[in-house]
Amino acid sequence: MDLTPIVDAAQNSAISEWLRTSLKAVAIINAFHVISIVTVFGTIFLVDLRLLGIPNVKRSFMRLHHELLRWTWGAFGIAAVTGVLLFMVNAVTYHRNTAFWLKMGTIVLAGINMMVFELVTAKSAASWDKGVMPVPAARLAGALSIVLWVAVIVLGRWIGFTKGYDFTIPEDVEFDFSTE
Amino acid sequence: MFEFAEWLGATPLSVAIQSRLWLTPLLQTIHITMIGIVFVSMLNVALRVLGKIRADEPLAEVWHRFAPWFWCALGVMAGTGLVLAVGEPVRQVTALSFWIKMSLLAIGIASALYFGRTVAAAASSPDPMASSGARFVAVATIVLWVAIVFMGRWIAYDVEIWESWHLA
Repeated sequence: MDLTPIVDAAQNSAISEWLRTSLKAVAIINAFHVISIVTVFGTIFLVDLRLLGIPNVKRSFMRLHHELLRWTWGAFGIAAVTGVLLFMVNAVTYHRNTAFWLKMGTIVLAGINMMVFELVTAKSAASWDKGVMPVPAARLAGALSIVLWVAVIVLGRWIGFTKGYDFTIPEDVEFDFSTE
Repeated sequence: MFEFAEWLGATPLSVAIQSRLWLTPLLQTIHITMIGIVFVSMLNVALRVLGKIRADEPLAEVWHRFAPWFWCALGVMAGTGLVLAVGEPVRQVTALSFWIKMSLLAIGIASALYFGRTVAAAASSPDPMASSGARFVAVATIVLWVAIVFMGRWIAYDVEIWESWHLA
């Protein structure tokens, strides 16, 4: 699928142009992106640990799930909106960036893992809600979720260090990464 | 301070950190995941004070559930942050965001220590933290930690954000 027209349109849009010329906007959007990502990761991590029985299975899983996932989704919404804006600033270079696509792919995998859990595994949640170890499928979903979301953070940082450009760094050349 | 940072940046330890290009993104990744644990641990306790979650669980229990995670992740965060700062000392000391972050962090740590002591002392009473004052402190604490994360991110954008207040 050729995404070039969409990417070019994003790059040349008025909002993208404004973001590039307004120095503070990108810094502020970036800070919102980070705070929402740490909230997504932290709240999901807590639910994942509970699925793994860490630190214990004393509290109701369904209650924890109900109370925390609204924060996860709220934060995910902010992360997605700010992420789209950050992409638009440099759409053409991000679109050629391997780390960017690996990050998007990993988010999709995390989403599939969550969907399978919510639509299949969580149907039996009442039977392992508290006091007993969650079923193996639930534990697997929790473990996968932790691995996938950590990978999303790794890849997100990796994008920052490839600066949207995809090339191998020559060993005898020094790069100054101090502005990112 | 600037001279100290320049000296530190030229030490073999700092050069060793700088020359390993994979080290900084790796440490930043660990730093960010730890922020997730610290921030959400704090958030759970603050939301409990506000009565938004875990209303059936005494506040002292909620604190004891999250305090070990909060302090351990904070320790790892401090460790990775220290190595990152030694790797780029001039960038840190010239960033106003860095100094604001450190000041806010000191307030955050002091208030968490104080909270831990008062909650432990008041553990026998059913719910020591439901007053409007306590609710205000809970919201202020959330804002404080959001500000710490913002300042951390803005070390990279110090000139853009603070303009002439940038310390170089």
